[in-house]
Amino acid sequence: MRVLEGVRGVDAALRDGLYGRGTGRAVRRLRALLGAEVVVLTDLDGPVASAGPVGEGVREVLALAYEQGGPVQRGPWAAVPLLVAGELCGALVMRGGPEEALVPVGALVARSLDHAALGRARGRIAQADLRTLRAQISPHFLHNALAVIGARIRTEPERARELLHDFADYLRYSFASRGDYATVADELQAVQTYLELQRARFDDRMELMVRMAPDILAVAIPFLVIQPLVENAVRHGLEPKTGKGSISVSGFGEGPLCVIEVEDDGMGMDPEFAQGVLAGTGPPTRSVGLANVDRRLRAVYGAEYGLVIETAPGSGTKVVIRVPRFRRGVVAG
Amino acid sequence: MTSLLAIGLLLGSSVIIGVYGVRAARSTPDFLVASQQISPGWNAMAIAGEYVSAASVLGLAGLMLKNGVGSLWWAVGFTAGYVAVAALVAGPMRRSGAYTVPDFADYRLGSRAVRKLCAVIVLVIMWLYLIPQFKGAGVVLHLVSGTPYWVGVVLAGAVVSSSIAVGGMRAATYVQAFHYVVKLIFIAVPALVLLVRAGGEGRELVLRVDAGAWSRPLLDLHGSGQPLLATWSVLLATTLGAVGLPHVIMRFHTSATARIARRVAVWVIVLLGLFYLFPAVYGLLGRVFAPGLITEGHTDQVTVVLPGAMVPGVWGAVLTALVAAGAFAAFLSTSSGLLLALAGGLSHDLSRSSVPRLRLAVAAGALVAVGLSLPAERVDINVLVGWAFAVAASTFCPLLVLGIWWRGLTVPGAAAGLIAGVCAATGAALASVVTGPHPGWLTVLLAQPAAWTVPLAFAVMAGVSLLTRPPEWAERALLRLHIPQRAAGDG
Repeated sequence: MRVLEGVRGVDAALRDGLYGRGTGRAVRRLRALLGAEVVVLTDLDGPVASAGPVGEGVREVLALAYEQGGPVQRGPWAAVPLLVAGELCGALVMRGGPEEALVPVGALVARSLDHAALGRARGRIAQADLRTLRAQISPHFLHNALAVIGARIRTEPERARELLHDFADYLRYSFASRGDYATVADELQAVQTYLELQRARFDDRMELMVRMAPDILAVAIPFLVIQPLVENAVRHGLEPKTGKGSISVSGFGEGPLCVIEVEDDGMGMDPEFAQGVLAGTGPPTRSVGLANVDRRLRAVYGAEYGLVIETAPGSGTKVVIRVPRFRRGVVAG
Repeated sequence: MTSLLAIGLLLGSSVIIGVYGVRAARSTPDFLVASQQISPGWNAMAIAGEYVSAASVLGLAGLMLKNGVGSLWWAVGFTAGYVAVAALVAGPMRRSGAYTVPDFADYRLGSRAVRKLCAVIVLVIMWLYLIPQFKGAGVVLHLVSGTPYWVGVVLAGAVVSSSIAVGGMRAATYVQAFHYVVKLIFIAVPALVLLVRAGGEGRELVLRVDAGAWSRPLLDLHGSGQPLLATWSVLLATTLGAVGLPHVIMRFHTSATARIARRVAVWVIVLLGLFYLFPAVYGLLGRVFAPGLITEGHTDQVTVVLPGAMVPGVWGAVLTALVAAGAFAAFLSTSSGLLLALAGGLSHDLSRSSVPRLRLAVAAGALVAVGLSLPAERVDINVLVGWAFAVAASTFCPLLVLGIWWRGLTVPGAAAGLIAGVCAATGAALASVVTGPHPGWLTVLLAQPAAWTVPLAFAVMAGVSLLTRPPEWAERALLRLHIPQRAAGDG
């Protein structure tokens, strides 16, 4: 059990990689694990961290290990090169420990380092994913907005001019925010612009209610998450419905959480269909909006903070965003 | 009977505001109005409403009665705390986007362990602060209806946690602002009536009782003979404690920018300064018109007892009802804020969070607070509040001040300082309850530990930080705290 604990400790200490915060702890744990006098972790340039005095002979044994590409012994020192993803990235050097343990422990360290590299890569992929998803949502909205304005240019030029102004405002918002996050208040501005553009089409058929607790207006959330929900309510809840329809957008704080609900009394849908939409297996027009928001929320906050859809055929749809008010790294740009 | 009716009406109206009035519905043309930020005035009133507690109403008057004019230093500290908040914390805290102190620790130090530690300290402070609130409710209810002390405490716990469960979960700015107005009116009007009632002679008598004290207004705690030390200790605790109170920091998040957050803090100072005039009036009048309470040891009751003692008959009952309702409002709004902050920490930082768990956390938090309040009947309200402030001053104040203004703060430093602070402050407070009376200065150092625990926490935090290496993003994190948002750039 002691050995397993030691192995787990080394792995945890190397979680940030060879240059992370835990390297010093890692060599101390390795020394205990191997029962050696001195343990040194090196990169290609020389020692990175050591437990015990780094005496003479380390450079020589390193050079030998790198040259031979396998475990070597020279004087009191033994060394094994560390291969991460097939590439040489350093070596584990030891003095006064059991030689036969060095190779398996070296493989263990190499695997931990590989693990750390994969973790970093995963973070970068999530970041890139987020950017892609964000890039996806904007053109979607831009296209719709331009189509609405285009349809009015002849019949109502004055109104089209106003709408273009709204559109310009929206563009400024969309281009000016440099980060991936915006405040709830900024997001509401985007919703406002969108609805101005949509109201032109619905005339009196659409009623809108907005109820926002002031204390969540300054909360930072991922860019463009509310507008797609409102757009979904308009296009799939109200558009197919005959007669009047209403949409309500409400937000409030719930302890450490910030909750935003978008509700319509439109067509509604089958709950299984909604599940398909979120899973990305629904019709492509719908998955751009809701599934995109859902995936971005999950990427930023974790799987338990995805969208929640409450719906049934003929009885409207309610989409709920529930996210922490504060999350490290989520700051409105 | 009148008093019970008044309390009932108050409870009803605040629930109604909570459910219907908070998020006034807006239709499309008003859309932009809805997305505007709440004004600094309302926000300040909400903060003051949440901050002015049963301690302020009952405790301060009681302490005035017991220890004389020097007790006004509490009021000075409670209010002056916001000078420190405005100058040191409000703006940068707003820029960090952190909603709670654990959030801030996470933002600045990036350590899960320190985050958890902060959450535990939040619990300690909140419980210490809830005890006097529940005690206040128990005392008031006992006075107006004759029920035993424990009935009031248990009822208070049930009322607060169920009102949060029904609709109060939404940290409602307007409800808190409403409570400030209620407290001010219900406490101020009877105070003014009593002042008039006391007559010219009475007022002169009141001022003459403390004739000597006015020229040297220091706080002589328990007759310890160390007035200067006691005064400094109380001032340190209350002033710096306000900086670290978890439920107050959240409120600055409502402000749109750091500038507005600071303006709100200034407004809070004005509102608190106005409010604290009135508990002092009760205390001073009590020294002349209800001196019996001192010998009986029931000084915390003075605010409720005094109107009945000075004005006989129906009007006395009406005034008592007003004061009781005001005290209850103080208790209700403060403890719901405290309980929410506590439950937030419990469910968010110390376990995985979801809505049902938040409700559960509220119930659990209230239960523990009620359990702790039952044996606290004989402890002065303000002494209890003083401990909550002392713990806040010796833990979160150093963390926030050093975290915001010094890039050298490290994870081990913060952790060591927090642990030293919370152990020293709670240890001293416990020791002063458990062990008997001590000679002079030791009484003060145990009962009002801030004088040594605050410097200790600062020293440990800074000292250990100097020995260790700050996280590499310290510079960037600090920069974001101090540069106006729009200039901060990416990242």
